Amino acid sequence: MTEAVWWAVARSEEVSADKPLNVDLGDQPIVLWRDANGVVRALEDRCPHRRAPLSLGCILGSGAIQCGYHGWTYDGETGRLINIPNLKGERKYPPVYKAKPFGVHESGGFVRLCADVKAPPPADDGDALPLSGTATVALQHEQYVDALFDDPSLLISIKGVRFSPYLFAELTEQEGQLMLERSCQWASPHWPAPFSSEFPLSLRIASDAVTGETDLTLLDDEFNLLLHATLAPVPAARGVTQVRWRAVLSPERSGLQSKIMGVGTPLKVHENIDGAALRVLKPSASIHANDLREKIAARSAPQDEVA
Amino acid sequence: MLDIHEKPEPTTHDDPITSDPREFASRVNSWMPHDLMLIDAWFPLAHSFAVGKKPVRRAVYSQPFFLWREANGNVIAAETHPNDMLAATKSEYTDADGRYPVIEKYGYVWGWLGNPDNAAPEHIPSLPYLPEDGGLPLHMLGTVRFDCCAPLSLENLIDLTHADFIHADVVGDEKMDKETVEVFHDSETITMVRTCVNKSVAPIMKVFGGVRDDVQQVRQVIRIYLRSHAAIAYGRFSPGDNVQLFHPCVPETRDRTRLDYAMNTSNVKKTNPFRYMMPKASYKVSRQDSSMTSPQSPRYMQPEKRKDLHSPLDEAGQKYRVLMLSLAERQANGDYAYRDNVSADCSEIIGYDGK
Repeated sequence: MTEAVWWAVARSEEVSADKPLNVDLGDQPIVLWRDANGVVRALEDRCPHRRAPLSLGCILGSGAIQCGYHGWTYDGETGRLINIPNLKGERKYPPVYKAKPFGVHESGGFVRLCADVKAPPPADDGDALPLSGTATVALQHEQYVDALFDDPSLLISIKGVRFSPYLFAELTEQEGQLMLERSCQWASPHWPAPFSSEFPLSLRIASDAVTGETDLTLLDDEFNLLLHATLAPVPAARGVTQVRWRAVLSPERSGLQSKIMGVGTPLKVHENIDGAALRVLKPSASIHANDLREKIAARSAPQDEVA
Repeated sequence: MLDIHEKPEPTTHDDPITSDPREFASRVNSWMPHDLMLIDAWFPLAHSFAVGKKPVRRAVYSQPFFLWREANGNVIAAETHPNDMLAATKSEYTDADGRYPVIEKYGYVWGWLGNPDNAAPEHIPSLPYLPEDGGLPLHMLGTVRFDCCAPLSLENLIDLTHADFIHADVVGDEKMDKETVEVFHDSETITMVRTCVNKSVAPIMKVFGGVRDDVQQVRQVIRIYLRSHAAIAYGRFSPGDNVQLFHPCVPETRDRTRLDYAMNTSNVKKTNPFRYMMPKASYKVSRQDSSMTSPQSPRYMQPEKRKDLHSPLDEAGQKYRVLMLSLAERQANGDYAYRDNVSADCSEIIGYDGK
């Protein structure tokens, strides 16, 4: 994992002061919890004593995390060992006695982590979107993002909306993001997409070139916002991708079909993917995605060095 | 406060525990238990009652053992199933007929893995509180498994501070006035004695054992027979009844462990439910252990640059690592000899007085 990258590894409501939460960043297991002040803390999910997962332990009233194996207790901010309960009495432990800490930033209902604890925090997201969920998908991260570009219907459903195979705008790089705009139809009976002269809806997909964190914007043909969502796919162990998402339906929607979107859940992020359909999905929109990613990376590399 | 006392041991060139702290630490931190395979050892493969006319299958380091009884009651341990007509290979661990050396003692069938010519009854570990002829009632015997490699199970066992956290609901938490740990070893065994003053009473003794006090005096002994991966876990509790557990960890594969336990509670009154419930605690305790050692196990499969951190409480576990590595090193150099007698009665060492 690139050091100074922020990954949305949890939704705010998933992290509590009652029970530690285990998440992954690739093959790196991480434990999350809230300390006594409600601040999210993140350490490597590995007790440096005997390598047991800290997430199997408990959160003490002080906000520190205690390993469930031998009771070694760590400060969440620094990762420093602060107590071995069976060694009675006050003791001081050398600075090397610590678990690896991660940078943490919480905003917009997402908890983001960075391997570099000194990395500058990302921009705030504003208010958390009210609808949210987490889906665990047996597909590698890059494949997941590319499938989102090529055929979003394999990964998500928007109530009453059918994604067409046609684009208003192909994948390009804009301000460090990979962006495209897909033509969509209402799911009601109509001419098939290949024979339709007009498309009443468009879905803008804007993805971070590294994390694949994606903003989805569904607009009608008068450019009225219908739905806004953020999908945050994060690589997890064994090639699995964990997707945290948040969404909001625009309160002002005209027309029967857009009003029906408010009945039930407007956005679903699929846990199960149709493997047969995915296998034969030909790269189309995503075909230049890697070239664009490399271009963005090459442009940002010298800046990093200057910084 | 914790006190660490170690009785002075004769320091010879043969002592695998080096007196050089740097060398000792280096060995402790080179611990990759999955790579260890110790042979020329007796393994308690099955409870005697489990072996009858029909062959049962066991394994040590994936090496197959088929056990059955002949008409005269003698146990056979073979490398292949008698019905397996296709078996073509034979290891160096069996005789010309594909049979392993086998002994029945303490209510177990022990199979020898190693050079058959080196198999000798005196290499069976001493287990003072198990009847040599077996015969313990079935409610004192059972089988559990650990989802990890056997040396990690035993390292877990010999560091009893873990019990205060993951088995607190069975054997009590870490609250006590004083804790003392003593460690003894020779080339074939390691023994840890933990003494606790005014320790919170084990809940299982409160619920089933009739102990009404809030604290008890505890002396727990773990003695590991290194090659056989077998341990004695002997606890004296006051008030309360003594706990007499035989805890063999047979390495069926490099990452899975079989434990055919014997919890001899015949010292407990027949009217006391503790006599019947304590052996069953193994089912709960073993899952609690496995919940930690299972995720721990793959983290010891590959070389790791980062060193484990240690506290003074880890002395026994650290020495266990070094002793195991030393035995493995000796065997790699062709030295399979037993330098110490594992079958000599260890009652005095563990503080067992026959009661």
